[in-house]
Amino acid sequence: MFKKEIVRGAISISVGVVIWEILTRLLLENELLIPPPSSVLRTFWTLAASGKLNKHFEATLIEFAYGFSTACTLGIIIGYFMGMYKWFDEIMDPWIATLYSIPVIAIVPLIIIWFGIGMLSKIIVVFKITVVAIILNTAAGIKNLDPVWLELAQSLRLTGWQTTYKIRFPGALPYIITGMRLGVGRALLAVVVAELMASNAGLGYLLRDSSETWDSPKLFVTVILLAVIGLVSFNLIKRLEQRMAPWRQSAEWSSEA
Amino acid sequence: MEALTRNLNSTILRVGSVLAGLVFWHFLATTVINDTTFLVSPIVVVATGYEMLFVNGELYPHLFASSWIFFYGFLLAIVAGVPLGFLMALSQIVRDYVNPWMTTLYTTPRIAFAPVLLLWFGVGGGAKVSIVFLGCVFPILINSYYGMRVVNREYVELARSFRLNSRALFFKILLPASVPFVLAGVRLAIGRGLTGVAIAEWFGATEGLGYLIFFAGQTLNIPTLFVGVAVFAALGIFGFEVVRRVEAYATPWKTDARGS
Repeated sequence: MFKKEIVRGAISISVGVVIWEILTRLLLENELLIPPPSSVLRTFWTLAASGKLNKHFEATLIEFAYGFSTACTLGIIIGYFMGMYKWFDEIMDPWIATLYSIPVIAIVPLIIIWFGIGMLSKIIVVFKITVVAIILNTAAGIKNLDPVWLELAQSLRLTGWQTTYKIRFPGALPYIITGMRLGVGRALLAVVVAELMASNAGLGYLLRDSSETWDSPKLFVTVILLAVIGLVSFNLIKRLEQRMAPWRQSAEWSSEA
Repeated sequence: MEALTRNLNSTILRVGSVLAGLVFWHFLATTVINDTTFLVSPIVVVATGYEMLFVNGELYPHLFASSWIFFYGFLLAIVAGVPLGFLMALSQIVRDYVNPWMTTLYTTPRIAFAPVLLLWFGVGGGAKVSIVFLGCVFPILINSYYGMRVVNREYVELARSFRLNSRALFFKILLPASVPFVLAGVRLAIGRGLTGVAIAEWFGATEGLGYLIFFAGQTLNIPTLFVGVAVFAALGIFGFEVVRRVEAYATPWKTDARGS
């Protein structure tokens, strides 16, 4: 049954690509509107061979990695305190709610004014997008901890640090990973948006560059590359989630805001 | 009494936090930075907002332009997303063939499609509506699909034992049971749709909230930029609240309509 799914999926994708190739070959003389897959592939090869693609890919990846790891570190710490202390939660809550309800795009121009068009502004954008989801989920994880576990910790006479390290943190881990998963998709969008607005490297830059010079094959290469990155990162996190918290069924991949 | 005190305490903490933040912001803007192309005091932002809303009405054309794009894209997403989601839930074949495309499109950052759609539809309304549509359709589709997939088996068995035909099964059992999920999808779609509006209006728009923000950013007009951001946030909260009301009304059997 699982096999059949994959076979059908593969058929669906390959038939789609073949139809695309045939239609573009037969109907369009100009590659501007929709380039055929073969031409997209050729462009991909040229770009990759010249090392240009690598450079942009690397820039995006580094921005993403810095922003994401900072967000994880700070988000877990803040979320932990928010889950532990009610007063801290109440102080932080209105600000986080505000931050959360501002759309990604709206804040990008501001961040670029403040932090320049270099890598720093993109790292901050990624940080801003991911940190909220991680904070909220970590806090929820700490709050929703089974009280029985805490009682167990007490009866084992664990110190405060041990309780945090051995009970609270592992207990909240599935929530934290959910927060990370929600962050990844949005962060990818945000980093591309920021690069599109003002930058000199990165996949967003490539997107802008190719759309402004009407270089459709290059545009499609970028779009497909972004699709692949999205797909891979999504599946990686999902795997991680299943691995770290196998008891939680994560069927709802719907909750990405 | 104790609960009352706690409530009061909580309110004081919240209000205090916001006030302290605003005061900090004000002083940061006026004494530390003191550069209006960088950061302005919240008082200036409020004044600009008041002016744009009530004095010269500058905001309204942008607001209307954005609302139409959002409205059409959102409506199209519901019209297309809900039936397709149901179809995927009911038919294994449709599911298997559509799934890889859906997953790919869903996980791709939407902004990547914007230049392509612009290439196809031009700078007019078509490209903008389709960008919003792309943003909204997936949460709705996926939630509709999921809602119909997880309908409680007992309901279906009950329907079977009453010998309901498949049409009645759909309308009396499956459809009402999936309403909460569909609405949750609609709620998620609001935020994504708003982001979509902003993305769409970046590319060759001459009005709209996204254009306002983008233009203000390029001309270093910080007060207007802040007003635009605030309006976006307000719209998001407003839309969210509307759907929550609809949710509470349409699914009265769900005691906690807040969801996750």
